[in-house]
Amino acid sequence: MKKTRFLVALLAGLAVSLSGVVQSSAADKTTLVVMIRGLDNPYHANYAAGAKALGQALGLPVDVLSSEGNSQKQFADLKAEIAKTGGNMVVNVDPNEAPDVVPIAKMLEDAGVYWVNWWNKPDDVKLQTYPHWVGHIAFDAVEQGYFNATELFKTFKTPNKGSIIAIQGMLSNNAAIGRFQGLQKALKEFPDVKLVQWEAADWDTNKAYEVTKQLLAAHPDVDGVWSANDNMAIGIVAALKEAGLAGKVLTCGTDGIPDAFDAIEAGSQASTEFMDSRYQAQLGLTMALAAKDGKLDVKAISPEHRAFLIAGTHVTRDNVKTFVAETVKVMPTYDLKDFYSKWVAAIK
Amino acid sequence: MRPAASNTDAMRVPKSMSGTAVEVTKRWLRRSGIVAQLISLVLVIAVFALGTEGKNLSGANIQVVLSLAAIPAILAAGLHLTIVIGGIDLSLQGTVALCAVFVGLLSRNKFNGNDVGLWVVPIGIAIGGACGLVTGLLHTKLRIPSFITTLGISWVLYGLAVYINRAMIISLQDDRIQTFINDKPLGIANIAVVALAIALIVQFFEDRTRTGRYLYAVGGDEALAKQLGVKVDRVKILAFAVAGCLYGLGAVLLVNRMGTATSRAGLNLLFPVITAVAVGGVSLTGGLGGAKNALFGTLILTVLNNGMVLMAVNPYAQTAVNGVVLIAAVALTLDRKKLGFIK
Repeated sequence: MKKTRFLVALLAGLAVSLSGVVQSSAADKTTLVVMIRGLDNPYHANYAAGAKALGQALGLPVDVLSSEGNSQKQFADLKAEIAKTGGNMVVNVDPNEAPDVVPIAKMLEDAGVYWVNWWNKPDDVKLQTYPHWVGHIAFDAVEQGYFNATELFKTFKTPNKGSIIAIQGMLSNNAAIGRFQGLQKALKEFPDVKLVQWEAADWDTNKAYEVTKQLLAAHPDVDGVWSANDNMAIGIVAALKEAGLAGKVLTCGTDGIPDAFDAIEAGSQASTEFMDSRYQAQLGLTMALAAKDGKLDVKAISPEHRAFLIAGTHVTRDNVKTFVAETVKVMPTYDLKDFYSKWVAAIK
Repeated sequence: MRPAASNTDAMRVPKSMSGTAVEVTKRWLRRSGIVAQLISLVLVIAVFALGTEGKNLSGANIQVVLSLAAIPAILAAGLHLTIVIGGIDLSLQGTVALCAVFVGLLSRNKFNGNDVGLWVVPIGIAIGGACGLVTGLLHTKLRIPSFITTLGISWVLYGLAVYINRAMIISLQDDRIQTFINDKPLGIANIAVVALAIALIVQFFEDRTRTGRYLYAVGGDEALAKQLGVKVDRVKILAFAVAGCLYGLGAVLLVNRMGTATSRAGLNLLFPVITAVAVGGVSLTGGLGGAKNALFGTLILTVLNNGMVLMAVNPYAQTAVNGVVLIAAVALTLDRKKLGFIK
């Protein structure tokens, strides 16, 4: 009995001291945490890449929490991370869904962790309620849809005159809705361009292919195919190729995936807008770190700079080669001194 | 023995050739179990012909429908086997994802030096078959219900595909299969011919081979089949393995048609394929329906979705219509006598 008790006590002691080791090693260095939706697409995978590069530059540990599209896993992972680091961390969040932001904000507020959020939050949730929520940032989706539409219109036989079909993303998604508004804005500005029909393809390459193939059978003489993102543009280009129209009728996209750059260079896609999630990770983490170190006074940030839109990078045939060589293939050094250098508008 | 008698009658009574042909066709239809599906197909086509002012009957559109139905038809020819034996296979998306990633990485591509050429077809089929074999073994040997086994396996395979794929979009540089898919030496795209051939082969297997008949025995009444000496586990494993092979083939075609491979290739396939199988009249309680049903189901659904696109039905409503069709089809085909309780 005595022996057993001793052993148990020894093990317990060891366990306690071990946790002490972990605690103390975690305590001296702030952990950089990125929360993403999954590693199965280049956009989210690049958040992790950006965070790791920043961690290396600053000599700080990095943890990547991937929710795999599961909100409950996202909360559980965050709780575990707070326990692991003892709250000595900063977080960059791309939440699974907008409503998830509220529990995340509460958890991080309780732990006293500074953080930056991307893309989605319920409109009525105000950052001012949460002193540790440094910023909420999104790309200007309306501008993306507008820019790509105008670039597409330029490629018509008679520029800015003709008809298009449009392939929309997931209908409930904010980015899809915004980009489609951008398309509408461009159509209003160029009344000689007619949108003959649009369909939704849920960001899916195969679905975009199927829908485009059908639309091309119904409207064989369109001058362009507007697409809400690059993933769907791949499917659209495949359908255009089968119809013998690749290179004659172009498409467009948004996101800036490698295939889109290839398609722009090959002349089957007019343009895309690159959203650099490596920059997103580094900007978010740097802002949160600055707040944690007392270099950024969160209370003093104006509402326009607390929740805001930033611009992506326009990529067309004119700049695709240099852009890919200088920005996509290497990890650029970003300007992280001015947090608001890409600011375009406040989010109301 | 009535059919045989009527057959003799038909031969004795002198009738015009066309009359006999009608009789034979009628009898074949009655026996084939696809009368309702044929009627639905004709109805759907007719309704949309009115709705689209005949646009859906244009040559170009018929070509589109046939080539779009091809891949789901191949997948449905596989998946329905697992429903015929009284189970279900939800691993379709995971299997297609894993096969797609391997097809991408083994074909000539931008990321590595691999180039297995056309061998990618048997390799893709073999990987899919291996996935199905593992699923079948887990299901039968560990005695886990098929929907749980296959759901679990689907996530395992998808996870593996994501891990191997590392978020790359693998562009293929060998377009021989892509060209083959779209060539039309027989007037319709080869991919549609392949799908038809596969449906016929699977149907032949179901109708004319002993193992094929065993599938129905197991699906109809497993206990009875066991008593009669059918090796139930082996039949089940075979169904999952063959289904896996066809998912593998589907993945090869899917990836090559698009010219790119990713772990996301299989997403959004399960729902339409299961709907097609149910719409085709393959009973979800097992033991009824064959590859021809799966084929007709796929055609009906493709025509339906094509019609909605041509009529410019509000995209918000299109997905919902598919859900309604699935529930309606199951409501019509489910044999409730076999189920004590509906859970």
